[in-house]
Amino acid sequence: MSAQEKVRLLLSRQNGKPVLKPNRALVLKDAVAIRRPRKGEATCITEMSVLMACWKQNNFADALCSTEISSFYTCVSKAQAAMKNQSEQSLHQGRLPPKQALTLLKRFPNIQSEI
Amino acid sequence: MLGSSLKHIFSMAASVAGLLKPWTPSVVLVRWSRYNPYYLEPEVRREAYSRPEAELSAEEQEERKLKELRPIKAATCSTTSSVFDDPLISKFVRMIMTDGNKVLAREIITQTLENIKRKQVEKYHKTPAGKKEEIECNPYTIFHTALENCKPVVGLASIQKGGKSYQVPIPLTDNRRRFLAMKWMITECRENKHRRTHMYEKLSQELLAAFEKEGNVIKKRQELHKMAEANRAYAHYRWW
Repeated sequence: MSAQEKVRLLLSRQNGKPVLKPNRALVLKDAVAIRRPRKGEATCITEMSVLMACWKQNNFADALCSTEISSFYTCVSKAQAAMKNQSEQSLHQGRLPPKQALTLLKRFPNIQSEI
Repeated sequence: MLGSSLKHIFSMAASVAGLLKPWTPSVVLVRWSRYNPYYLEPEVRREAYSRPEAELSAEEQEERKLKELRPIKAATCSTTSSVFDDPLISKFVRMIMTDGNKVLAREIITQTLENIKRKQVEKYHKTPAGKKEEIECNPYTIFHTALENCKPVVGLASIQKGGKSYQVPIPLTDNRRRFLAMKWMITECRENKHRRTHMYEKLSQELLAAFEKEGNVIKKRQELHKMAEANRAYAHYRWW
């Protein structure tokens, strides 16, 4: 059964009460709700704690903590690269971010009238 | 109005990557800071053009072929291909500049570098022969190392959680660190020095002190580190 026929069945009053009693027209909007993305975890916490422990031991002298500092920087750069990749990956996994879906829908809206 | 509509077009073109085609709007501004990401950066360095064909064959050849066809952004007025062009010094000049008086800012910086050179050469001639190699006379290297010594490793961000705001230690980007180092240097020289000294004098004193890892800017950086270390328990309040 097609979607139209299913909807017609749901709205029909022939078999008793109708299942659906819509107060608005059953039409798709030209917009998508922009939901806030899920909050992530804090990155590079272990590196930061190691660095801070080193600082505490050596009275904040940077010359003695150079290895910890460099490892912290590498962790930070990796985390930033991962964040960038993640926003691109969401495109490839078949899931369009709501903002991009909105721009696409604005450019190609639903047909309002017959041509 | 025009700017906002252009911004909309650019953001649309930028965000929907699958539709990124060779496209330029009909009205194009010549020198603009926001370009379609289709535009490539200009190559200003002279060495990049004097290399023969046989260097880094695959990548380089491809990049050169791409540059022949793609549009390129207009270079800004401050970029030069001269050997004296230093991007860090240019950034510092722009930060010192007030009311658009870049000539004055550049004068101050050149006087600062000259002053640093003079002081270091004086020190060089006064040291005994054995220790002469340890004195650094190049003002540009002094400037670079001083700024490196002033850059903080972690910064603090104010994050609200449960109605209260906490100072959370966060990792900083390179640009932010460079900006903070320069900002601290400039504000310290403008505010905490004797008012009758020239700016170049104040800057040279502070830069030489930062080179030796002393001075108020280094102290400020250490205080930031101490605050971050004290607040390390709140590091989990970050979500990025």
